[in-house]
Amino acid sequence: MEVAMEEAVAPSGCSSTTTTMDDDFICAWNDWNPAVDWGSFSSVADDFHELIESMMCPDAVDSPDGLMSVSQTPSYNSSPSSMATSADTPAEEDARAGGGHDGDDKGLRLVHLLVAAAEALAGPHKSPELARVILVRLKELVSQAGAGAGVGGTSIERLTLHFTDALQGLLDGGTSAHCGGRNSFRDGHLHHHTSDVLTAFQLLQDMSPYIKFGHFTANQAILEETRGDRRIHIIDYDIAEGVQWASLLQALVSRPGGSQPPHLRITAVTRGGSRAMRETGRLLAAFAASVGQPFSFSQCRLDADEQFRPAGVKVVKGETLVMNCVLHPTMNNTRSGSASSVASFLLGAVELGAKVVTLVEEEEQEQYEEKGFVRRFMGELHRYSAVWDSLEAGFPMQGKARGMVERVILAPRIAGAVGRAYRDSKEEETDGGWGKWMAVMGFGRVTISCFNHCQAKLLLGLFNDGYRVEEDGSNNLVLGWKSRRLLAASVWKPPLSPPPPCPPSPIRVGIVTPDGLTNSFEDSDFVSD
Amino acid sequence: MFSSKKPTMNSHERPMCVQGDSGLVLTTDPKPRLRWTVELHDRFVDAVTQLGGPDKATPKTIMRVMGVKGLTLYHLKSHLQKFRLGKQPHKELNDHSAKNAALELQRNSASSSAIMGRNMNDRNMHMNDAFRMQMEVHRRLHEQLEVQKHLQMRIEAHGKYMQSILERACQTLAAESLVSGGYKGQASRGVPDMGAVKEMGSAVSFPSLQDLHLYGGDQLEMQHQMERPLDGLFPTDDSIMSKKRSNPYHSNGKGPLIWVDNLRLQELGSTAACIVSQEEPPSKSEQLQISSSAIDTGIDADSIANVYEAKPILSMDSSGEKKYDGGASKLVDRPSPRRDPLPMAMMNPMMTAGAMPQARNLSYG
Repeated sequence: MEVAMEEAVAPSGCSSTTTTMDDDFICAWNDWNPAVDWGSFSSVADDFHELIESMMCPDAVDSPDGLMSVSQTPSYNSSPSSMATSADTPAEEDARAGGGHDGDDKGLRLVHLLVAAAEALAGPHKSPELARVILVRLKELVSQAGAGAGVGGTSIERLTLHFTDALQGLLDGGTSAHCGGRNSFRDGHLHHHTSDVLTAFQLLQDMSPYIKFGHFTANQAILEETRGDRRIHIIDYDIAEGVQWASLLQALVSRPGGSQPPHLRITAVTRGGSRAMRETGRLLAAFAASVGQPFSFSQCRLDADEQFRPAGVKVVKGETLVMNCVLHPTMNNTRSGSASSVASFLLGAVELGAKVVTLVEEEEQEQYEEKGFVRRFMGELHRYSAVWDSLEAGFPMQGKARGMVERVILAPRIAGAVGRAYRDSKEEETDGGWGKWMAVMGFGRVTISCFNHCQAKLLLGLFNDGYRVEEDGSNNLVLGWKSRRLLAASVWKPPLSPPPPCPPSPIRVGIVTPDGLTNSFEDSDFVSD
Repeated sequence: MFSSKKPTMNSHERPMCVQGDSGLVLTTDPKPRLRWTVELHDRFVDAVTQLGGPDKATPKTIMRVMGVKGLTLYHLKSHLQKFRLGKQPHKELNDHSAKNAALELQRNSASSSAIMGRNMNDRNMHMNDAFRMQMEVHRRLHEQLEVQKHLQMRIEAHGKYMQSILERACQTLAAESLVSGGYKGQASRGVPDMGAVKEMGSAVSFPSLQDLHLYGGDQLEMQHQMERPLDGLFPTDDSIMSKKRSNPYHSNGKGPLIWVDNLRLQELGSTAACIVSQEEPPSKSEQLQISSSAIDTGIDADSIANVYEAKPILSMDSSGEKKYDGGASKLVDRPSPRRDPLPMAMMNPMMTAGAMPQARNLSYG
């Protein structure tokens, strides 16, 4: 046995990240079932009962065991199910039988209700009325708990509140004219004042590594790829407030070697209004001046149809071009560009001959084969419950701070994500992650350095133990909470040859089948640089 | 990339084959695994050293330098990764002091090299190897510190920039509120507290920041608490919240938040150590002392204090300070020990990058 070290040994340190997790939590999610356990809501007032009856759609009435008895027996306690039109009975019974612990029970019920509402909204048996009823009920349930104020209630209740609002927004947007009140408040970041957003954003940064992880990982990759270059030009797809670049400016100045720092130019891609962008430019320039980094700032406007035109970017000969695409909404930009817009930007890297492309995107953990709204809805629910869990685990006593982050930053994101899921499921437009797409388009992988990996680990070390970082492929660093992967930061090199064999039409994103994507993904795995 | 292999089976549990000229031992899996024999590992280490350390070396350059036929980037990548990270399990990060971790690291490496040694007859070789591994451990620790130093500077830059955004926003806000108070109703709808703060805040520069401060303070408390339960010393936010919205913090209409990174950081810096020794169980204080002595890379408490002192401090001005004090004095139902843990509690993640977590991070190999 002359084996010193063997590759087969499970990797130590960083990469052995997965397994240990909160089993309860996971189980709870696995137990998900769209079936609604109406029995558990039997405390519900009679008026609710009537409401259901009045709104019941005919096909539900036909179902054998459910509604008939509901409308006949005053205590619909006894035959609780069948409200969710697509519910299958055995699973329901499981759900009911499994509900032993009261504490988790309510959360589970809320989740079931949410999923039922999503199904009613966009499932195979559409019934906006049913969805409306369920949403009304959900709001009652969470506001009883005081979650309506955004600060009280358990975290699952607050989570439910925001998802309920998101669904309500879809329902109202889809069926009737905009109804005012709470909804219009929820509709987007516009309605939170800037200082609130900033405050909440700062809190989120202090409470979690979500923002810094993507920024720092991308920046480190940029630093490494531009080592020794005299002029660096970064084109940033979504610069927002420019938060990403402060640390890069600082790092450029303190680059080892002691030589004069390179000149950095940042071109911000804008959509329309450029006033905020000028402000960002001023702030960045001021910051650069304060650390002594030569810096300039310019803008490049997207087309009316949100397409990126490489010709619109001034490129100086001899400068190293970097394209940066952070698709994870940072502060108040919930609008994240359309798929075709992102595609046009990434392909612009080929035309412009960028040296490196950095990408930060939300990680899709499951492959939602069905592409249905309900599945995607559950995915988002799962994702944000992980975020919720992470914030709560790290800051158990900070109910108020968390409440604010949730309300001001995360709630608009949830609304945006649910809205996207809804639209996408209608248009059958899908992307299995931009990383995979880039691999298909012939982008090469740029290995994540040890420094970078180590930096991410150290960063996460400042927070709760539940955060994980793992390498998924040589060029992709993934941030997760427990077993749930949340964010992926990857580094790419554009193909040298003018790229795609097929025209780089944005529709391409939708055309590539999941199979095609995964296959080529695996093939290219070994070709890595 | 994989050159042809001769399928010679040997006695290992997994079908293996030895690749002729280079002597590589590979499994015959579809994804061939490589046995890292001592010789091969030595060549690897040499190559890495030649390339200026594991930080500088990349799989590609190592492949070039080693020049072993049949060795792929895939093999080198994962081996390099392991090489860089060392072998200590993850949990040490939190469980042990830096010193312990370092010792353990050494022990680990010693034992792993002992395994290697058992496979060889040459005892000198063994010693050599153990020594080399130990050097590696040291170097790795050093590199870790390097990364840490950079990370810290980046976090600080990040924080500084956030601060400038906030300042600017507040200037704009002040200007706006002079022009019209129209936004107030809108903004406060969802965020009553903040709305209230703003209501009265146009004269003051940073009402909402003031709010933040308290969060910061509590945050630290919280972190503190996680490490060493303060058993109900302070009311938790949640309990306050659920009772009613009238939490003591808001008795005067503004949240007594302290902007985490600038409230009394100097104090924090200079007192962190003694606070720790007062309040933490012995093991903890030992940990911190160890870390501060072990780390001479300029991230000690003093330099932190300096850094924070140097930056524009919003609420350190007299009004901010006064406000905080006022807020604190209003917290009648707060036990007096509140003030003591505060500076320590200031260690929000931003701050934590500095003094405290060093102890934790250090043990990362």
